[in-house]
Amino acid sequence: LSTPSPADSPPYLWPLPAEFSFGNETLSVDPTVTLIVAGNGGGSLIIRAAFDRYMGIIFKHASGRGSLLSRIRFLKMVEYDITSLKIVVHSDSEELQLGVDESYTLMVSKKNEQSIVGAATIEANTVYGALRGLETFSQLCAFDYITKSVQIYKAPWYIQDKPRFGYRGLLIDTSRHYLPIDVIKQIIESMSFAKLNVLHWHIVDEQSFPLETPTYPNLWKGAYSRWERYTVEDASEIVRFAKMRGINVMAEVDVPGHAESWGTGYPDLWPSLSCREPLDVTKNFTFDVISGILADMRKIFPFELFHLGGDEVNTDCWKNTTHVKEWLQGRNFTTKDAYKYFVLRAQQIAISKNWTPVNWEETFSSFGKDLDPRTVIQNWLVSDICQKAVAKGFRCIFSNQGYWYLDHLDVPWEEVYNTEPLNGIEDPSLQKLVIGGEVCMWGETADTSVVLQTIWPRAAAAAERMWSTREAVSKGNITLTALPRLHYFRCLLNNRGVPAAPVDNFYARRPPLGPGSCYAQ
Amino acid sequence: AFEDIERLRIWPLPAQVSHGGRRMYLSGDFKLVTEGSKYGDASGILKEGFDRMLGVVRLSHVISGDRNSSGTGGSALLQGLHVIISSSTDELEYGADESYKLVVPSPEKPSYAQLEAKSVYGALHGLQTFSQLCHFNLKKKVIEILMTPWNIIDQPRFSYRGLLIDTSRHYLPLPVIKNVIDSMTYAKLNVLHWHIVDTQSFPLEIPSYPKLWNGAYSSSQRYTFEDAAEIVNYARRRGIHVLAEIDVPGHALSWGKGYPALWPSKNCQEPLDVSSDFTFKVIDGILSDFSKIFKFKFVHLGGDEVNTTCWSATPRIAQWLKKHRMSEKEAYQYFVLRAQKIALSHGYEIINWEETFINFGSKLNRKTVVHNWLNTGLVENVTASGLRCIVSNQEFWYLDHIDAPWQGFYANEPFQNITDKKQQSLVLGGEVCMWGEHIDASDIEQTIWPRAAAAAERLWTPYAKLAKNPNNVTTRLAHFRCLLNQRGVAAAPLVGGGRVVPFEPGSCLAQ
Repeated sequence: LSTPSPADSPPYLWPLPAEFSFGNETLSVDPTVTLIVAGNGGGSLIIRAAFDRYMGIIFKHASGRGSLLSRIRFLKMVEYDITSLKIVVHSDSEELQLGVDESYTLMVSKKNEQSIVGAATIEANTVYGALRGLETFSQLCAFDYITKSVQIYKAPWYIQDKPRFGYRGLLIDTSRHYLPIDVIKQIIESMSFAKLNVLHWHIVDEQSFPLETPTYPNLWKGAYSRWERYTVEDASEIVRFAKMRGINVMAEVDVPGHAESWGTGYPDLWPSLSCREPLDVTKNFTFDVISGILADMRKIFPFELFHLGGDEVNTDCWKNTTHVKEWLQGRNFTTKDAYKYFVLRAQQIAISKNWTPVNWEETFSSFGKDLDPRTVIQNWLVSDICQKAVAKGFRCIFSNQGYWYLDHLDVPWEEVYNTEPLNGIEDPSLQKLVIGGEVCMWGETADTSVVLQTIWPRAAAAAERMWSTREAVSKGNITLTALPRLHYFRCLLNNRGVPAAPVDNFYARRPPLGPGSCYAQ
Repeated sequence: AFEDIERLRIWPLPAQVSHGGRRMYLSGDFKLVTEGSKYGDASGILKEGFDRMLGVVRLSHVISGDRNSSGTGGSALLQGLHVIISSSTDELEYGADESYKLVVPSPEKPSYAQLEAKSVYGALHGLQTFSQLCHFNLKKKVIEILMTPWNIIDQPRFSYRGLLIDTSRHYLPLPVIKNVIDSMTYAKLNVLHWHIVDTQSFPLEIPSYPKLWNGAYSSSQRYTFEDAAEIVNYARRRGIHVLAEIDVPGHALSWGKGYPALWPSKNCQEPLDVSSDFTFKVIDGILSDFSKIFKFKFVHLGGDEVNTTCWSATPRIAQWLKKHRMSEKEAYQYFVLRAQKIALSHGYEIINWEETFINFGSKLNRKTVVHNWLNTGLVENVTASGLRCIVSNQEFWYLDHIDAPWQGFYANEPFQNITDKKQQSLVLGGEVCMWGEHIDASDIEQTIWPRAAAAAERLWTPYAKLAKNPNNVTTRLAHFRCLLNQRGVAAAPLVGGGRVVPFEPGSCLAQ
């Protein structure tokens, strides 16, 4: 048979673990494998739910868990090598914040003199490390079509793993095209397969305002239609769903630009009918609305980072609107000063609600020295903005548009993969200020029909860059070291129902060029 | 009447609909009741269908626990759905009654909606329609039904309303096939034509000849026997038949990977070796195994695009032809007819692609269903000859023709120029075909939908109620496309041909 046959190949794990060793034994996994928990956090509902979820993924073929064949096999007293999965979690805290310990150790071995039963063991400091371990365990399991059972090849496995960066994000944009809740959940689920851990939710933009804000209930009149909206409860459900998978949700409302949709419900927010963007900087009402939005969002989004946007602010409009011009003159402000004033005031509102602000890089480029020192700068435009930002003591998130903007369809996987967030930063203390990176799925041309095949598999290339050690992703010929594993991971995504597009096409989300195997396309 | 149609957002359009102008809300514990029903639901098909219906109506939105938020008294609350089914069996039989009647009362009336059907599968269609009457009110956070009271009497126009998927050109993982099946139910399609095997790969386990799936692309791109049974069961519980196809004697190169004796020679790997009894033993084994899983009364034996020049170019076959005094064309006929006999012996009725009719139509088993794809006049010829027919003319109903717009899918009339009632009764229905050369898990949904939905209405709705100008139903189809998206189906925008991407921001209602 054609390749790949898991038993003959290098470890098909994505992202590649930090440290691992393997052998050459093949072990069978009992479809009724039992969960054994230990440690202060082992009894967490997050662990139990994840175990059940992953067993459903691992034993998805009809001869798997719960099927008739499985019951017949049980009656025949078939002996399996792996009959239990032990998960040890040391901390009982389920707090999910930036920098949470996601490390884990995974051991898979046959019964031997030290153990009377074959076992797999995951040990982690937090439940979120255990989740990452479960994902790796699921990738070690493969259905064997000859024996019709799930096997683990190349045992015994000993994996010690942890992420390189604490922030490994994916942006989704629900303003340009509304994404139904189930689609957002499918995105979150697929993120967990690649061990990404922040969903950057660009909720609102100039085109539509889909989120319910109880304090200012007319804001979502800016939605495209009355069905293309998220209630407060919907957003909370998304946050809960993500947390169960170890994923933070960072919300973004972009101010003062990219906010035309706010005025559909509250026209006072527009400087005038012919000047609908940026928001009216002269009115306290504008900042009251921002404060109300942030107060409502604080009840939904517990993640410490909140994104205030601040990009692409075209302030010409302000100069052309009489009352704004008068306000500027009265304060002896230029429009750039007003832009700064707006962003800093929004920052203070966010900080007053115990958030740490994140802003796009233009705020740093324009008035970096005035930003709150806790600000996290998100790069997109200038490739060395992170170097500049960390040199000034700011933290930075890397999202270079030339390579990590997923709506740029002409970036093949290897260019995504070879993009290094720490380029040009040699000082270890400054490297720590790059908290990670993010791939951005802007929604102008991505709706429910194409968002997942535009995200995957290229987001996986970035995910490995952010998870695996720099040495592992930098050495060797990636056509040999990474491409076969990425093909395999793309097939794994497809097998789990995620519509990841072919890897080898130059342009993203293109159909397969012809018939063939997903391992070769 | 136009405005009435415009406000009716049900797809496919029911046969008879009337409605009022009131509003009802679904109770927080909306329930299924079955008093008076002869159907016991021992296998849970109805209950599962009801739960799925509630799931898609909620669209994963969180329903408010506050009953008072509906802002109305109890009289506008719908307590549940009363389902009465007159048949006690849940056997999924082809041609069985799929009709239903749905009554949703106005606030003055009793507080249960009523769904009557002959079979549980008609009831499933009724649940589907009910789901399209319901909308989640995002302000009150409850499910509402507008324009009550509703009176709907509905049944399909054609008994065969199919969708072909092709797992040989690209393997489709189980979850992908299941998602396709789920989406078919939303449009009330009822036959999944599974083109399992072709030249490129043989992904299915055949216990009688276990090396056949050595023709799979890889050891992990396969369906076990149990996988196939699971797909059939998953479809059956949703009222969908699975029509299995093995295409013979052409389109079968992959068979020889495991059994090279099936190839006439190494240089002639297609069509299958007509001279060898082993070939027919293998077909017999395949169909024997099929009969254990695929319970649909029909099996599809293909028979299309058979390039027989290879046979004459292979000395052994040439001698066999000479010995049996057959031309290549006659050997093609011999092969197809022998395969038909094998299928009949396993209790199947046969579907063949139209080339078999064109070449030797008078020799085909009289119960053969001819599957149109090439010729526009074929349907009339087939039915005039007394054989049954399924319409899939490639110009309009091939989904892999990316430049074919949804309007063409909608306007394609299966009866074409057939006016004779008896001939019309021989047209079982139609099928849209999702050939897989450029289709894999990443693009199958957006290539199928929404164009398949346009065909689905052509196959479901009475001819007199279909729009003469497809553009008149644009708004209703856009709404259905949005409904698919809300349910997690990656249906593409309507504008353009198939599988277009949105070229700018906007609402799914307008793209």
